[in-house]
Amino acid sequence: MNSMWTVIAFTMRNKLRSKSFIITTIILGVLLVVGANVPYFIDKLTGPGSAAKVGYIAGEQDDIVKGLEQQFGLDDKRKVELVPVEASGSEADKNAALQQAIEGGKIKGYLTFTENKEVGFPNVVYHSKKMLDSNTSGTLQTGLQFVKTQQAVRDANLTDEQFTKLTTPVKLDTVQISDKNADGKTEAQQGTAIGLTYAILILLFMSVMITGQLIATEITAEKSSRVMEIIVTSVAPLKQMFGKVIGTFIVGLAQLVVLVGASVGNLMLPHNKGALDKYGIDLSSVEPKMIIFAIVMYLLGYFLYAMLFAAIGSLVSRTEDLSQTSMPVTMLTLAGFYIAIYGLTNPDSTFITVCSFIPFFSPFILFLRIGLADPAWWEIVLSVGLLIASVLAIGWLAAKIYRVGVLMYGKKPSFKEVFKAMKAYKV
Amino acid sequence: MNPLIVDKVYKQYGDKTAVNGLSFEVAQGEIYGLLGANGAGKTTTMRMVLGLILPDGGSIRYRGKPYSTEQLSMLGYLPEERGMYPKIKVSEQILYLAQLRGMSRRDADANLKRWLDRFQVPEYYNKKVEELSKGNQQKIQFIAAVIHKPSILIMDEAFSGLDPVNVELLKSTVKELRDEGASIVFSTHRMEHVEELCRNITIMHKSNPVLQGPIRQIKSRFPREKVVIGAETDISGLDRIPGVVSATRTERGYDLLVSRKEAAQDILKHAMAQSTVERFELLEPTLNEIFIKTVGESHE
Repeated sequence: MNSMWTVIAFTMRNKLRSKSFIITTIILGVLLVVGANVPYFIDKLTGPGSAAKVGYIAGEQDDIVKGLEQQFGLDDKRKVELVPVEASGSEADKNAALQQAIEGGKIKGYLTFTENKEVGFPNVVYHSKKMLDSNTSGTLQTGLQFVKTQQAVRDANLTDEQFTKLTTPVKLDTVQISDKNADGKTEAQQGTAIGLTYAILILLFMSVMITGQLIATEITAEKSSRVMEIIVTSVAPLKQMFGKVIGTFIVGLAQLVVLVGASVGNLMLPHNKGALDKYGIDLSSVEPKMIIFAIVMYLLGYFLYAMLFAAIGSLVSRTEDLSQTSMPVTMLTLAGFYIAIYGLTNPDSTFITVCSFIPFFSPFILFLRIGLADPAWWEIVLSVGLLIASVLAIGWLAAKIYRVGVLMYGKKPSFKEVFKAMKAYKV
Repeated sequence: MNPLIVDKVYKQYGDKTAVNGLSFEVAQGEIYGLLGANGAGKTTTMRMVLGLILPDGGSIRYRGKPYSTEQLSMLGYLPEERGMYPKIKVSEQILYLAQLRGMSRRDADANLKRWLDRFQVPEYYNKKVEELSKGNQQKIQFIAAVIHKPSILIMDEAFSGLDPVNVELLKSTVKELRDEGASIVFSTHRMEHVEELCRNITIMHKSNPVLQGPIRQIKSRFPREKVVIGAETDISGLDRIPGVVSATRTERGYDLLVSRKEAAQDILKHAMAQSTVERFELLEPTLNEIFIKTVGESHE
């Protein structure tokens, strides 16, 4: 036990001191702090005054223009502002005036109307220099539609009350149903759950990839620098492997705490409150269950992959060969991650349910299901049980591979060779 | 009882036998030479002694006890392929390795400083290994192997890659460790080092111990069959003397091979009749010759 602490302490000390680690943490931290404040800044930048200016010939289609103005004015944040352009004479003159307004920067685009007797509402064309200006045209479309309905309804001689009734938008709320409590999750909780699930999936994926690769690289480096021979004669290989995995884990965790702290801390700042609300995220509605499972899944997922990476690192003699050899494990993490991303929109599908029992995927996918779907308790127990069993099995296997791998030099050994070596070394 | 007893160890990798029934004992304060061509099974033997791999048959006993992780702290190992952490400070990694061997950090630190002073390189304490020359890296490697005062020290190719000055330095250090009571297993291809340092040796060939025992005894088993003559002028007809196998002219005289040592007297008389003999010697075979003879003969 004592020597394992020595390995843990040595691993941590060297990692925490290394320039690359410090720089990576700082860069990631800065990115997260900036990222946490981005919604607020976007809000600020798209504040009033940034509405798209759309021109029209003053005096033309007064009713429609007024209706539109009234409609756009209802938004919290005006998206489109109609700007009258003074012009008279022929169509060509008017067009020239509108063009000039665009050149002069007064407007972004302009509307022209052509009567359509059949519909009783003019055809409207939005001229814009920008291609696919769907934002503005979408707003215009909705506005015009509303104005048209208004006109049609007014022609039908409805009372104001009837009119209000007709145009009040339908209110539709979604509540996720849970077996255990009838309350389920409110929309805010769901938004938070999706956001949190997404964030933790990315965290888990990144830390597994980064720390896993780190462990493998360090072991291969020790092997290729031959310092490994001295180490394995000084301390039991098992202790060394677990010392390394745990040491790197603690460092990774410390990094994670700093990064999560930085982003959550910034998100909690008062000016970010409104921005988060807009995306339906309410940090206070995070369920403790989610946090607990996030930690459990992180731990299990980390150790599962870390030990695989350690075993692989022990087999490779040169760091150049490492990425090729670790490819299958990297693919596994990638597969788990992408299946989980797919599951964000389909948390109930059979595919996701099945995958949540496969040990290499379950750290990602079981967590996703707990967050977004509502798996039965036995499903959770079974999946976590399977995962723990595989962590132990992989740990045992990795230790064996490690034991022989660190002494095998030369070309990368095949499975058969590793197996033969295990028998020969009697491990 | 001797600190290290290797008894009929046997090791097989697949269908290839790596070590076949090797036995030897190393006494306290003894340097034991393990010789053999590349691939003869020396490294496998050393790895078994270090407990890295278990023998398929036979036993290894350390102060009378079988291998267990408790023995690790009394073993020291200088591997054939040298290696340290290139980017970590000398002090940091030596202290780490010493701690792994069960030393306290403070004791290890004191020992390290003493060793660095001994090698006259105290300024390396805070240097990274990659900043040192190859010879100096070897010194650090050596310190790593002995910092915890091992009672059993395994040195694979102890002096390879060192300049003569450093070889002498390390050699005298090894002798000191021996005199302090360490049991040292030593392998090298430099036979003159073996002759200087070792009392007993084993020559291994293709996994088998082919020659074993005290160096003096081994040598007496091989006939003296080399005669060296130092003479000022040419001597003719040396190769016609009965018992002379061959005669070669050298810079300062002649080298002769004889089939029986009695021929030496005839050679001397013959030479003195023709020239002033400045030097005449009937040489015992060098270990180098014995090695080549033993290993070379069984090659055929």
